[in-house]
Amino acid sequence: MPLMLSSHLSSYISWPSPVHGLEPARVFPRMKTEQIADFSHARHEADARLLGLVAAGDSAALGELYDRFSRPLYATALRILNDPGEAQDIVHDAFVSVWEKASSFETTRGTAFSWVLTLTRNRAIDRLRSRRRRHELLETSTPSDLGLDENTSGPAANLAASTSDQASTLRAAVAALPADQQRALKLAFFSGLTQEEIAARLETPLGTIKARIRRGLLKLRDQLANRL
Amino acid sequence: MNAERHEDLAALAALDLLTTAEQAEFTVALAHHLELATLAASLRSTAAELAHIAPVAEPPADLKIRLLNSIAIQAKTARATLAQSPRLAILPFPTWIGFATAACFACLAAYFAQAYFNESALNSAFRDQQTLADLSLRSTKNQLAAERLITQRELADAVKRASDSAALITTLESRLAETKQQLFAQGTIADYKIATLASLLGNSSQAGAVAVWNPASQEGVLTVQKLPALAADKDYQLWVVDPQYSIPVDGGVFKVDPATGEGRLIFHPNRPVKTVAKFAVSLERKGGVPKAEGPMVLIGP
Repeated sequence: MPLMLSSHLSSYISWPSPVHGLEPARVFPRMKTEQIADFSHARHEADARLLGLVAAGDSAALGELYDRFSRPLYATALRILNDPGEAQDIVHDAFVSVWEKASSFETTRGTAFSWVLTLTRNRAIDRLRSRRRRHELLETSTPSDLGLDENTSGPAANLAASTSDQASTLRAAVAALPADQQRALKLAFFSGLTQEEIAARLETPLGTIKARIRRGLLKLRDQLANRL
Repeated sequence: MNAERHEDLAALAALDLLTTAEQAEFTVALAHHLELATLAASLRSTAAELAHIAPVAEPPADLKIRLLNSIAIQAKTARATLAQSPRLAILPFPTWIGFATAACFACLAAYFAQAYFNESALNSAFRDQQTLADLSLRSTKNQLAAERLITQRELADAVKRASDSAALITTLESRLAETKQQLFAQGTIADYKIATLASLLGNSSQAGAVAVWNPASQEGVLTVQKLPALAADKDYQLWVVDPQYSIPVDGGVFKVDPATGEGRLIFHPNRPVKTVAKFAVSLERKGGVPKAEGPMVLIGP
């Protein structure tokens, strides 16, 4: 029965899996802005339904969810840890956790993707902090922590640049933000630093850092609402 | 709390950057502002999209297989555990030993946990006692400080009262000295001369008078009784006999009550009197005379 539901869901959504890398307008070239917003909404709704199936013990649904989410999750873990092996472990453990805790997901607290991403990112950051504590090699362990240059050398940088249209859309939206907001957001998301550490790293007052993060996220939200 | 603060908290929460204090503040705010939950959810979803700006990396194909295998093993283990649980009652001996050991460890753990909690409770009680003692000490210090202030104030009042009293004593002493001086000037009662005057009138033998004389103030009082009523053109006149003068000194005129014959005269002789030998009263023409002319009616002592 769960498999049937999962298959039914796929046909309802009407896109091949995985779909995270595909821009709605590419799938439906004649869509207008409102239709694109509907598409985004439908995507999140489909993610939530899949998560519901996982909560019911549908391992096929978990596989489908993996296909949808694994690339951005893995990329994030790799970006944080700069170590492919550790990034794989993190993604694996995060999906095991999804399998075990799917029933605790609440749609009112964000999208299914944000929930799974939080599980992944928190694990990666925990491991990063643990590594820093062990080796006290903050500067050398994650050379691209600052997130200022996406093309810095290292295992992550050797991977192909984003070819995903959705990633391109996100990058464009982020690039449209003021540079100081971009720096604050990237550090906040990828570095595993606390607010105080970010302020110290950027040699900027803490209140200013908070304001940049707030403004940056709000602008990004508005831009994404228009673009997706 | 304003909207900007809410946005701050929601944005930091979306990136898991809240401090402990901010987390508490955010929780309270969420309970009171329903729209904040919506904002927080939208920002968390937005923040999650930042994952797409990481350099694209394809996870290895075997990761999915590994994941599904883990899930399958987990599910199988769970099923096996469920299936085995009814057989717990007929566990073979070695398994029983393992559970017994585990139970022993559990008991030991419980014992040490109990000991730890007891110790913690004791420490907590000591800390509470210390806190109470500190509070009591602080309270006593405050009380002492208050009492010291009150005492200082009372001392100041007492000093002021003592100063006032000293001034009063000085004033009283001054007055006493003045009084003594006056008394000295007036003389003492022992110096007073008191004399009774007897009647010289044949028809009024009961008439009499008492004279009290203060030589210090040169002043005296004469009280008469049962003297005959005066005619309209007559007055009684007092005379003070002083041996230093050849004639008696005029003490003044007076009248008596016609009904009772009583009268009173406060007299000041018109000349200084050194020694009083006698007092005498004569009947003179109205207004008195410088030298006695009329008959003597009283004399004494």
